[in-house]
Amino acid sequence: MLRRYRAFTISIVLGLALIGLAYAWLGATKAASTLLSGLTLGALYFLLAAGLSLIFGLMDVLNFAHGTLFMIGAYMGYSAFGNPRLLLNTLPLFLMFLAGATVGTEAGRPVRAWGQAARRRLSTAASGNDARQTLKATLARLPFPYLFALLSIGVALWGLWGFPLNRLVAFEATATGGAIPTAEAQDPLPVMGARLAQMALAGLLLGLAVVREGTQRRAGTGAALAVVVALIGALTLVARDPLEGFLLALPVDLRFLLALIVGAATGALLGALIERTLIRPFYGNPITQIVLTLGLMFMGTELVRAVWGREGHPPMTVPSPFAQSCRSENLLAWLTQQCSSISVLGRAFPTYRLFIILFGLLILTGIGLLLRYSRLGMIIRAGVQDREMVEALGINVRRVFTWVFALGSALAGIGGVIAAPFVGVYPEMGSIFQLQAFIAVVIGGMGSYPGTAVGAFLLGLARALGDTIVTSGISLPWLEEALKASPAVARASTVLIMAIVLLVRPAGIFGRKE
Amino acid sequence: MANRYLLEVQDIHTFIGQFHILQGVSLAVPEGSITAVLGRNGAGKTTTLKSILGLTPPRQGRVVFGGQEIQGQPAYEIAAMGVGYVPEHRAIFTGLSVAENLRIAERQRGDLERRADFIFGLFPDLKRLYRLPGGHLSGGQQQMLAIARALVPDNRLLLIDEPSEGLAPILIQQLIEAIRRLSEQVTVVLVEQNFRMASQLAEWYVIIDDGRSVCNGRMAELLRDEETVRRYLGATV
Repeated sequence: MLRRYRAFTISIVLGLALIGLAYAWLGATKAASTLLSGLTLGALYFLLAAGLSLIFGLMDVLNFAHGTLFMIGAYMGYSAFGNPRLLLNTLPLFLMFLAGATVGTEAGRPVRAWGQAARRRLSTAASGNDARQTLKATLARLPFPYLFALLSIGVALWGLWGFPLNRLVAFEATATGGAIPTAEAQDPLPVMGARLAQMALAGLLLGLAVVREGTQRRAGTGAALAVVVALIGALTLVARDPLEGFLLALPVDLRFLLALIVGAATGALLGALIERTLIRPFYGNPITQIVLTLGLMFMGTELVRAVWGREGHPPMTVPSPFAQSCRSENLLAWLTQQCSSISVLGRAFPTYRLFIILFGLLILTGIGLLLRYSRLGMIIRAGVQDREMVEALGINVRRVFTWVFALGSALAGIGGVIAAPFVGVYPEMGSIFQLQAFIAVVIGGMGSYPGTAVGAFLLGLARALGDTIVTSGISLPWLEEALKASPAVARASTVLIMAIVLLVRPAGIFGRKE
Repeated sequence: MANRYLLEVQDIHTFIGQFHILQGVSLAVPEGSITAVLGRNGAGKTTTLKSILGLTPPRQGRVVFGGQEIQGQPAYEIAAMGVGYVPEHRAIFTGLSVAENLRIAERQRGDLERRADFIFGLFPDLKRLYRLPGGHLSGGQQQMLAIARALVPDNRLLLIDEPSEGLAPILIQQLIEAIRRLSEQVTVVLVEQNFRMASQLAEWYVIIDDGRSVCNGRMAELLRDEETVRRYLGATV
């Protein structure tokens, strides 16, 4: 009880102190826009920090690739918004792979049973000369799942060989408005057809490799699902040119929504994939996890550089309610005028940033409600305290881990897309935002959800204050000119507030004493 | 003959890290009774329960539950077959309310409603505390919540670890009464340091010493065998 109130009190005191400082140094007008900038940054930090905190709280995993997912989400959303060609050419490949894998896991049980029977026959067959005997014995001992997995990777690489990714992402090749000038940027349909077949085969092999005894769907549902998925993939491919025209002709707002969905889906899929393949074998082994996720961070960043180029892209077009080049006097006026900026105590402030704040608060509330009232949320809260006991209640904690990883990563991906109209997209945005998100999680108290929210917004305020001090300086009564700090102060501001918080509460504001 | 036992553990060996904790534990639990697992501190009683549930999977040996071999299966699947676990130190979820602590144990929607009369009949206090966070409960109330939680789904077997630890004598009496009543509906394996409590409740016993099961039989016979009690439990009858 006491701890909780104390944590809230400290948060409020710190927030008020920052606002007070801003007011004293900058005056009401500048302080107000600094405050709003701070909330904007805070909302973005929160979108990243929420996933970090959930993943750390439940699984004790420090995911250094989280910022990379934010960045990749931003790039995927950006591409879906301005150049859907990338999506239309890669989605069929992915869907085919998925369809193949579904069939593979379904067919895997009879295949495996048949294989085991064959293996027994081979190892018991006593006839024939020595060489044949040895061959049979060797055959019987081959590690087929691993062979299938290796084959799958081989076939997938073969299928993707020469896939013109960097031509597909070239924005210059596509003009907004629906024209598709350079058809040669895409592989011709027959080549893509071959790639589809190869991806389906790769998926099938992987499905055969990972099939496990235990819970299975009713026979047939998997096959039906696979057919539907494969059909969607094939149709998307065949109709890629009209679809591209259609998507580009859509209103900006719908394309923005599409970008958000693509960003979230990319994050969720990559997150789930990383958890299942790379994190799962190393639970309880933090050093390995850190090295792995750090490696993923570097790989992901370099991959994005290789595909999309070293240079970033300018901020994405904002949705129409924030696009008119004018300044609204207040929120009510903005509703009808839809201006790109709004007057805050006489100073212009971009309305899209207000949208970022609102979006951050919506996600904050949404996840909060999920944690508080849903069964998944209950399991997460229980799992943060005692994973073993949750498992002992008959709950598949590992599956919950995958879901939480996917959820956190989806938040990162959607955060990247939301940030894109504000900061643009560039390969380093991942590590830059991730650092701040980590600080937010530490300030709030590792793994505490309200703590993470408070930490993110406090950090945003501190950073915005630091930025303002650097750009316009502090006006003090006894000085003629405003006192401007060196640019390093802006970056130092977030570390400074972390130092202050950790001095007062070493476990973070909402942290539990260990 | 084999069907007489709900649970059979045959010569299991369990390692924790590099330590060979269980070096051959066997026990058989008849359906519809209470079996006490006795032994000194550190003898391997808790590890035996965890090995049955799959939290520390045995490296060797067999665990047969309801006629099915379950060793090596993930703990959540073993639990879902109908094994409830009440760990030592009352591992309830302190951040969750009493209601949530019970609700999370549901395997099907509505489990809690169906079992509510039985559970609140055993532990009337929990009804009063229903909305409170688990962390606000006293030690005895937390123990009752931990047992109640294991009763929410239709479990056939309850593994209860040291329920009397750290409780006042009057609470222990209540606890004995509750366990006796719930054992009319579900088979119980009870790990207990408090020999007096165990001897009042259990019909069968098994003694574990230094990671091995050394003897077993009817509790009534053990109570006549002062020598064994003194030797393995350091207690007097």
